[in-house]
Amino acid sequence: MKLSTKGRYGLRALVDLAANEEGEAVSLARTAQRQKLSLNYLEQVFGMLRRAGIVVSVKGSGGGFRLKRDMDDITVKEILEALEGKFSIAEDAGEDTQDPVQNALRDLLWDEIDRRVNQFLQEKTLGSLVREYRENLETGTIMYYI
Amino acid sequence: MKISTKGRYALEIAVDLAMHADCDHRESLKNIARRRGLSEKYLERIVKMLYSAGIVSSARGVRGGYCLAKDAREITLLEILEASEGELAPVPCLTHRPDCGIECDRCPTREMWGDMWQIIKKAAGEVTVADVCTKSRFNLY
Repeated sequence: MKLSTKGRYGLRALVDLAANEEGEAVSLARTAQRQKLSLNYLEQVFGMLRRAGIVVSVKGSGGGFRLKRDMDDITVKEILEALEGKFSIAEDAGEDTQDPVQNALRDLLWDEIDRRVNQFLQEKTLGSLVREYRENLETGTIMYYI
Repeated sequence: MKISTKGRYALEIAVDLAMHADCDHRESLKNIARRRGLSEKYLERIVKMLYSAGIVSSARGVRGGYCLAKDAREITLLEILEASEGELAPVPCLTHRPDCGIECDRCPTREMWGDMWQIIKKAAGEVTVADVCTKSRFNLY
């Protein structure tokens, strides 16, 4: 059971961009460099985020991408849905079955996992990931200097 | 991110064994395959994984076949999924050495994936094979 690289790398790059933007557009090349991701790939991924209304692209020198909304108003759920589609752990498991065992598994397990994971992703905002990321970087720096 | 048919069939096999076998009346793969509408060959591969994980017991001979190795109330769906799917981690770097080029303690998302993994494990760990039988309106005891 794995998420695709779109969701994994896209979210990571978006947190990097949000952590570095400070009201101005961030060049995707810098994010690619910091996160060790391919620029080509990020351009595709950010195209998807732009179409989903999460980022806007800024043309010209000093151009790049910036968030379209406040990072506390952007949920991880909408980011992953833009990149991966809706989370469902066993999408087609007994959707229209008459089998009582498959129905029981769907009610007790698959639907329950989907409900809990989607709730978690809905409550998790890009803002909270950015703050965690900054804290981690600071702790890392202090450790380094000690 | 999806559970494969391996995990799904493994759950169905365990529930089927709880319903139709005990260790005095073992069940053949052929009968399980027929009831579940699945290929016997594929089931054999999955049952081997459940056997290695100590979830099912097997015996040879005329009265041979399979049964659950433990009480259905003591087998969680998490155990079965871990035995058959390998792992339930949403991203590989939670269980394997990452190859992404950045340090894990500087990763902006690893902690979140870890939390998501815990949520999945917790949900699957709360349900037993016996719960599924009850929910299927099958009286085990």
